[in-house]
Amino acid sequence: MIDRETACRCIFAALLMVASSAARAAPQKISQFALPNGMQVVVIPDHRAPVVTQMVWFRVGAMDDPQGLSGLAHFFEHMMFRGTKSVPGDQFARTLARNGGEDNAFTTQDYTAFYEQIARDRLKLAMDLEADRMAELDLSEPNVNTERDVVLEERRMRIDNSPQALAGEQVDAALFLSHPYGRPVIGWPGEVRRIGRAEAQDFYNHHYAPNNAILVIAGDVTVDQVRTDANATFGRVAARPLVPRVECAQPARLGETRLAVTDPNAKVAYFSRDYRVKSYAEAAPGQAEALDVLAGLLGGDSNSALYRRLVVEKKLATEVGASFDGDSRDDGKFSIYAIPAPGVSLEAVERASDEVIAKFVNSPPGAADLARVKTQLVASAIYQRDSQYALASAYGQALAIGLTVADVQSWPQRINAVTAQDVRGNAVSSLVRREAVTLFLTPGQK
Amino acid sequence: MRRLALLFVAGLLGLGVAPALGAQPKTLDIGANQSVWFEEDHTVPMVAVSVSLPAGSAYDPPAKAGLAALAAYLFNEGAGNLNSTVYQDELARRAIQLNLSPDRDYFTLSFVTLSTNLKDAFRLVGLALQRPRFDGDAIARVRAQMLQSLQQEGEDPEAMASRRFYELFFAGHPYGHEVGGTAQGLGAITAADLKGFAKTHWVRGGVKIAVSGDTDSVTLTSLLKSAFGPLPATTPPAPPRVQRSSAPSLTTVAMAVPQSTAQFGLPGILRNDRDYLAGYVANYIVGGGDFSSRLTNEVREKRGLTYGISTSFGTFRGGGYIIGQVATKRESMSESLAVVRDVLRSYAQDGPTADEFADAKTYLTGSYPLAFSSNSGIAAQLNSFQRDGLPIEYVARRNSLINALTLDDVRRAARRLFNPARLTIVVAGAPPVAKKSGKPSKTATPR
Repeated sequence: MIDRETACRCIFAALLMVASSAARAAPQKISQFALPNGMQVVVIPDHRAPVVTQMVWFRVGAMDDPQGLSGLAHFFEHMMFRGTKSVPGDQFARTLARNGGEDNAFTTQDYTAFYEQIARDRLKLAMDLEADRMAELDLSEPNVNTERDVVLEERRMRIDNSPQALAGEQVDAALFLSHPYGRPVIGWPGEVRRIGRAEAQDFYNHHYAPNNAILVIAGDVTVDQVRTDANATFGRVAARPLVPRVECAQPARLGETRLAVTDPNAKVAYFSRDYRVKSYAEAAPGQAEALDVLAGLLGGDSNSALYRRLVVEKKLATEVGASFDGDSRDDGKFSIYAIPAPGVSLEAVERASDEVIAKFVNSPPGAADLARVKTQLVASAIYQRDSQYALASAYGQALAIGLTVADVQSWPQRINAVTAQDVRGNAVSSLVRREAVTLFLTPGQK
Repeated sequence: MRRLALLFVAGLLGLGVAPALGAQPKTLDIGANQSVWFEEDHTVPMVAVSVSLPAGSAYDPPAKAGLAALAAYLFNEGAGNLNSTVYQDELARRAIQLNLSPDRDYFTLSFVTLSTNLKDAFRLVGLALQRPRFDGDAIARVRAQMLQSLQQEGEDPEAMASRRFYELFFAGHPYGHEVGGTAQGLGAITAADLKGFAKTHWVRGGVKIAVSGDTDSVTLTSLLKSAFGPLPATTPPAPPRVQRSSAPSLTTVAMAVPQSTAQFGLPGILRNDRDYLAGYVANYIVGGGDFSSRLTNEVREKRGLTYGISTSFGTFRGGGYIIGQVATKRESMSESLAVVRDVLRSYAQDGPTADEFADAKTYLTGSYPLAFSSNSGIAAQLNSFQRDGLPIEYVARRNSLINALTLDDVRRAARRLFNPARLTIVVAGAPPVAKKSGKPSKTATPR
């Protein structure tokens, strides 16, 4: 599936993205503290290899783009690699590379994150570099213009060249009404072109400050060492007054939106339905957990109900899936999609999908299915402990959207506590057509 | 701020020795002509396994392109007395995550499992290797999925350029067709073909296995023997050597997309060539290093022509290749390709600077331990070395081999490998305006 909410500076984005958005860590010895300037710090020791992952998360994302300047947060992420007074030009990336480090960054609606992976004895260097660009970025005009061209090429590659991604932008625009989640992270091209030096400078001044950031260190470190080094680096960056985030209304939807897109570049038809639902940050206890389980039951893999019914039994589709994206400050999204088998209409695929959904609304899932999906979700938290990057991402993301370390740690237990009745109850309350956008994407002339 | 301190730290570390590697894998003996490497670590209660079978698309019969991949994707569609539904449920209810990756030489199947389910994981994988079912219903379903994704590739200029590039670059060789095959090839494959392919290629001979995680040598050896022991002991021959003869060319695959993609390539070298590591370093400097390569610097950072440009230095068992790609709006493709040619021309002529070479060495040796920081990463990295035919000692020696290279070695490799006059280029999208005569230009229709 296309990742609609993330854009980044990285070249091989798909591999590096926070792929495990739903997966969270199992309990571990995590330490959390704050620097005097307000920067939050989370330390996750992992002593298996002599390497470390540093992530710096800013609580600013595409939803904070000013009106008429969509794409600014993502553009700014790119500008963070264009040099400072002390580390000019491309010396940030070059210095890290010379020291065996990997680095990259990504932007979503809610946050912007930067990371480095490097040998443990060079963590201080990575901290120094991140602190430096938090303090005094050099935003000169030629850099801004060239990087804007790069971002427009990124947009062409991710969105404009892909019929499903283009249609997906319109789905979000319809789904979230006037809320900024309806604008693409990478921005509308006409607005990206309007971004200039002054806009970038304002954005930096208002959002890039230690009191708006979370530092996550996972790897072969001790808490004491991180505390000392973080104070000596990030601790020297002064706190700045922040512009408060705008709270946007999420007005009730009064009816389903149906979107029919015909695209001459599309080679296969595509059906999707996206429901606006409560996210982990908003939902009552147990609600979002039940939606994670429901997504697994409905379309998580080839054992799921949609796959069994549409692909295996009725042979109406070649590909189906369901997912719940509940890791957001404001509303989340529950999505299903299907690619019809040759000769099968989108209407037939939708009808069959609705029959499957109706089963979950009308009766609780079977015990064996429920147990299988819960086992898979809980195991995902253990597999996540295999990767410093995945662990650091889970904690950074949670804190960036207003959750806590304890929330991350208790997630497997909360998944285990989901009952069959919870799944049914949340299917009833969340899979509501009024809250949905249904897409029919068809190959053909406009 | 802190400019002096920062530069001092950076300079000091740049000269430092490469960091230690955490992993110290050992070999396990499960019989002749099989390679098993094992890294034991009990920190996380899981095991990662990567198995490469000599069962890649290079073994597809000419009229049945896609056979190896179809067989691979049917791996979890039923085995022994378990039909597809039951088999997949057996894996899923234990949270065993199986990944099927057919490539040109090898079919790599990898899985992660909780250590408590390791025995069941090997039982199920062993069953699928020894007694695959290839039921008619499953064949029809997976074939339809592969055909549909072939069709969807028609939307994607990168996929279209890549398909055409391999056809031209490896013309006449079994590496020339895509792993996913062709519509004609897939349509011609029968259950008997699949059974025959599994019998001759899902075998013990030449299999490469890497394991990392929470188990021990005795347990693992016994599980591996029961999974792989019953397989035929035969070893399929390596795919034939590439006899490259295709002339340099510029080919266009016409597509009405806003952004065109170019795939450009040069002949590479075999893994056992004496210049291999020098070539690897030479490629890193010109196009392999994401944000520090010459191509990224010239095409992206200076000119803003693309979001990504890179080259990869690859080897198949029968031949090496260097393949690069760049995507840019249609009107900028000619300029982008001209910059690529200029960069390669001066690089082939003069090679890297002493600074570039020093930086490449410290990056490549310094970042090496990052590949060994997770069980999944370790299993994948070790399996990759095994597929390259390297001995286990290479894991520890690799950094000293890179450090032993001289600037002359890398300059020699750059001269030998990066001559732009030998480029094969395929552009998917709008045709670029020809810059010079003498470059044959063909137009293919999208397929």
